[in-house]
Amino acid sequence: MNEMNSDFAADAYQAAGEQSSKQKLDIFLAELGRLKRIVAGLGLSAQDGEDVLQDVSIKALKQSGKCRSREDGVRWLIKVTVNRCLMEHRRRRSFHRRACEILKRRAANKAAPKGTDEKVIDVEELEIVRESLWELDDSLLGPTILRYFCDFNSKEVGQILRLKPSTVRSRLREARMILAMRLLERGVEP
Amino acid sequence: MERSCEEIREILVDYADERSRQGWPSPLSPSESNKVDEHLDKCDHCREMLGALQRSLELAQVIWEDSLAEAEKIRIPIPHRIRKVRWPRYAAVAAGILLVITTSLLWRERVKPAGKEVSFTEIERRINESGSAARLLAAAELLAEYPDAQSIVKQQYRYIVETYPKTTAAAKAKLKIQ
Repeated sequence: MNEMNSDFAADAYQAAGEQSSKQKLDIFLAELGRLKRIVAGLGLSAQDGEDVLQDVSIKALKQSGKCRSREDGVRWLIKVTVNRCLMEHRRRRSFHRRACEILKRRAANKAAPKGTDEKVIDVEELEIVRESLWELDDSLLGPTILRYFCDFNSKEVGQILRLKPSTVRSRLREARMILAMRLLERGVEP
Repeated sequence: MERSCEEIREILVDYADERSRQGWPSPLSPSESNKVDEHLDKCDHCREMLGALQRSLELAQVIWEDSLAEAEKIRIPIPHRIRKVRWPRYAAVAAGILLVITTSLLWRERVKPAGKEVSFTEIERRINESGSAARLLAAAELLAEYPDAQSIVKQQYRYIVETYPKTTAAAKAKLKIQ
């Protein structure tokens, strides 16, 4: 955790006052990295992401004594974040950055030389996937981000989103097929 | 699409995950994996689909990672700042504003030219005058509809202008005379 976050914890503890709130904030800080991945996975801008995470932190402060265990607390936090992000995602039209911009930034940010195993990324391909992600239904996008970007397994995704693991698996299958089919339909040879 | 292709596609996503993410526990049994291997050896369509599944996920990762670089910059405003009101600072600001307002009011009071204060009797008198003038004007306007009464009407207007000069009715009467 960086300095800002430890300051945040100390100040927040003082303000919250209650033990349960302290625990919630503790979980919030511990999971902040993962929450940022959710924000990023749903394509929110830094500004929108900040708003969402601020809301979530306040909710965590207010919501006291409702979780039985730390795992429950983490699940609650992630669910709240996913829901808030999905709301923002639809409202703000996320995944705003176009493929060429992504590649430009990627090229500029890559300090190390390109690995030999990495395929050259085609702008057209990237744009198709970006559009497909944008068009993906919320019910598919949420589980996809949690599974493939936040590394939760299907059971955990199910617990977070209150879905059966089999439902999660079928939604993941559907989402993956949609993304793959879009590439094939547009004549991109993988 | 053949029936066997349909069956394979049901488990192709799990197969793709198994191959691209070595660390993950495989949801497929060894026999299922073998079945997919064998099918892929002879089916171009499913091989293509497998490639597209893997490629689309790689590209989605690129998009997500790009967004993450931006999200990493997020700084969370400290919640207690929203709750904790800094009273001394706000009190100082409020006191400052109050002081400025009071000073400006006092200053205005001092520099204001001494004007005539209007008493209630005066107000009452003006209301009565306006009422009387308005009534006379209304009567004159009714008379004005008769051609024979034009000279009386003009006299009436003049009377209103002379007797109640500061009223709205007098201003209207003046216009009628002109």
